[in-house]
Amino acid sequence: MSKLMQKLSENILDKFSMDFLRNQVLKNAYGNDDTVIAGLDPRILLAWYLFFGLIPWFVNDIPFLLGCFLLVMVTTILARVAGLVLFLFALGVFAQTGYLFLVTLFFGGDASAIAPLLILTLKVATISLASITVFSGLDPDKLSNGLMWYGCPERLSFSISYAYRMLPMLMEEFQNVLLSYRLRGNPPAHDTFPGKVRYLIYQVKIIMQSFYPLMLNTAKRSRTTVEALELRGYRYAAVNKAVKKIRLSALRVSYNDWLFLAISGLVVAVSVLLSTLI
Amino acid sequence: MNAVEIDGLTYTYPGAAQPTLHNISLNIEKGDFLAVIGNNGCGKSTLCKVLNGLIPHFITGTFQGTVLVDGVNTLESDVGELARKVGYVYQDFENQIVRPTVLDDASYSCLNYAFPDYLDRGRAALRLCGLEDREGEYVWQLSGGQTHLLALAGALSLRPDLLILDEPIAQLDPMHADRIYEVLRDLNEHHGKTIVVIEHHTEYIADYCKHVMLMKDGQVRWMLPTSQALQRVDELEECNIFPPQVTQAAHRMRRDGLLSGSGPLPVTVGDGLEAFSALRYTPSPRPVPEAPGGGAAVSFQDVSLSYRSVKGEPHTVFQNLNLEIHKGEKVALIGSNGAGKSTLMKLMVGLLKPAQGRVELFGEPIGEKKAEDLSRQISLVYQNPEEMFIKDSIRSDIAYAMQVRGREGWQERTDALLARFRLSELQDRDGRLMSGGQMRRASLAIGVALNPGILLLDEPTANLDIATRREIMAVLDDMKDIIQTAVIATHDMQLVCQWAERIIVLRGGQVVADGTRDEVFGDHEVTSLVGIRPPEIFTMGQRLDPAALCYTIDEFVDCFREVSL
Repeated sequence: MSKLMQKLSENILDKFSMDFLRNQVLKNAYGNDDTVIAGLDPRILLAWYLFFGLIPWFVNDIPFLLGCFLLVMVTTILARVAGLVLFLFALGVFAQTGYLFLVTLFFGGDASAIAPLLILTLKVATISLASITVFSGLDPDKLSNGLMWYGCPERLSFSISYAYRMLPMLMEEFQNVLLSYRLRGNPPAHDTFPGKVRYLIYQVKIIMQSFYPLMLNTAKRSRTTVEALELRGYRYAAVNKAVKKIRLSALRVSYNDWLFLAISGLVVAVSVLLSTLI
Repeated sequence: MNAVEIDGLTYTYPGAAQPTLHNISLNIEKGDFLAVIGNNGCGKSTLCKVLNGLIPHFITGTFQGTVLVDGVNTLESDVGELARKVGYVYQDFENQIVRPTVLDDASYSCLNYAFPDYLDRGRAALRLCGLEDREGEYVWQLSGGQTHLLALAGALSLRPDLLILDEPIAQLDPMHADRIYEVLRDLNEHHGKTIVVIEHHTEYIADYCKHVMLMKDGQVRWMLPTSQALQRVDELEECNIFPPQVTQAAHRMRRDGLLSGSGPLPVTVGDGLEAFSALRYTPSPRPVPEAPGGGAAVSFQDVSLSYRSVKGEPHTVFQNLNLEIHKGEKVALIGSNGAGKSTLMKLMVGLLKPAQGRVELFGEPIGEKKAEDLSRQISLVYQNPEEMFIKDSIRSDIAYAMQVRGREGWQERTDALLARFRLSELQDRDGRLMSGGQMRRASLAIGVALNPGILLLDEPTANLDIATRREIMAVLDDMKDIIQTAVIATHDMQLVCQWAERIIVLRGGQVVADGTRDEVFGDHEVTSLVGIRPPEIFTMGQRLDPAALCYTIDEFVDCFREVSL
């Protein structure tokens, strides 16, 4: 048993190494550019998101919510979202409502609390999954093009894709700074339980301290980036309407987009129908 | 018409007391391939930023004189217009790449300047740089050399006539460095581009550049054809620039009366064949290095390791690797970028765990060691010193490891280390704000603070100008007595030849050669397979006599003697 526990804890630690996080973030951003969802037009997808991200808040009808939930679950599967994101989603949603259920029971509630909680859970889950589909199924560039079409400032869309360009570099650097601490630091012994707690606190402290050198290093490298952006015409593009036009001319609404909208509409219609029948 | 005409240029950075550029007048011809040399802080980079209009349009300051680029006065133009005339590649080129995919980045400037055919222009630029088959890849999948080519493609896409590159090959292995220069030569000869490089590697200058300009204290000393410029050995050395090894050897031999003749000094191996034709090789007895006495310091047993990749199958780095490093050895680990050198080092310090097999340190598996024991036995100095500075002054950085362990007398030892690495004056400064050589010295001091049994150095001389590199090599030599076992991963073959007693050659995660320098460099099959480029002086010796194995200028001068026929 203790061996199993050790193996398990080792495994979890191993899974949550910086390397793994970096890999998951990259996978999330770029690892799924060949899926059905990634092939859709970002404008269509954003409009779709406007519906599934807002409407469920105002509806309390279980068949309708269930229908929406099933639909976004399918789109999430189609988008091939990275495991870590799904895990965080599950943890977030069920910790939230599961905890509410426990509190209800504690204060003398009974199983009748399940129905209202189910509605809340479905709402949160539907909206979260719709967000995950759109923001992680699309690669950052398409997403920013779509946002730009809807009139978001060019600066925002540049920031999104630049952040994704920088992330791998930053994470690698962060990993190296952390390693510096690990190589030179003197972590408390962690064979006993209080030792383990101290070790955990130590690690959290180190992670926080690592941000300081990381930020200074980033500041140093951004000097070149700022000059290079100037040379590469970033400032000209921001005021030039023609650039926006050229960039957005690549957006095309295809047969697949209409099909996607049609199927979504169909599912919604069927679930509305079901709820009126019941 | 000249590509660049500068007249009476004096420039002072905002807030600086002294002008950085002082009364510069020069012309650069169209179609020239010019090398700008000079020691650190002489104004080379500043001059280049004047050409692309960053100075005075983006960086202000006091600007006097006129600068004409392609007939256009930079004062009357703006950065956008000049960017179409002048392409610029930074020394830290990875920071000028701002888009996630290759084609995206190559065409980014064209998109910003609203060219409807921006993608075609990007593709054309990629083709010029030999990256046409990688247009869909993400930028972090590229090797260092390819990233540099991409930065070059990004600059080329606007089709400028003048290209400026700031130390293009400082971070690259010799194969990638050759590739960059071949691309530059092609651009210069077949596409009519004027090229200006800031360069310290005089061997490359001799092979590729047409003219050389020496700068000193913000002024242009002279601008001469390459073969004449590199003759001025004393003057160059005074500015901390070292002519090609062949030139240095000929200069030294002539000075000492060992080589007759009065013509120009040879600057390339080809020239050397003629200049040294009267020399004959006489092997001089060399001390046989003692076989290391100790047992294994590190041993790899059937180690396999692979990385997760963003898509598809994991990338295998090592497959059943077996390797042993003995106590007291000075090992150089060589191989092209991506051969697994850094990964091997990370395995040795336990930062990576092998998927299969085991890594042992002094006979015990690494996984079972406590972190504290481990860091006393082995220490790793990163390639990028900035990542080792975790405190706000180098004094506290050096002291950190000793302090948290509560080592007795850590303050005295910190003082001693600061003095030893000549950092006492700088001890309260943040490491990041120091010069390249100072940063490197500080990172070495941090690495040896705990007196580790094994010291690992990842590219200790990368990104340094030649003078600083010499300094670091002297420091490494000086450290030989305080560290027992050391492993250096490097592309710097001069360092390998001067320092290492054993050379391990990695290729695609396999050890393809392992032995003394004679065994490795003498084996042509290995050197051509892995693309190792021995120091120029070694190649020179080999061309004169295939039996000659001279790794340094000293050895060359000792071994080759003039014989009267």
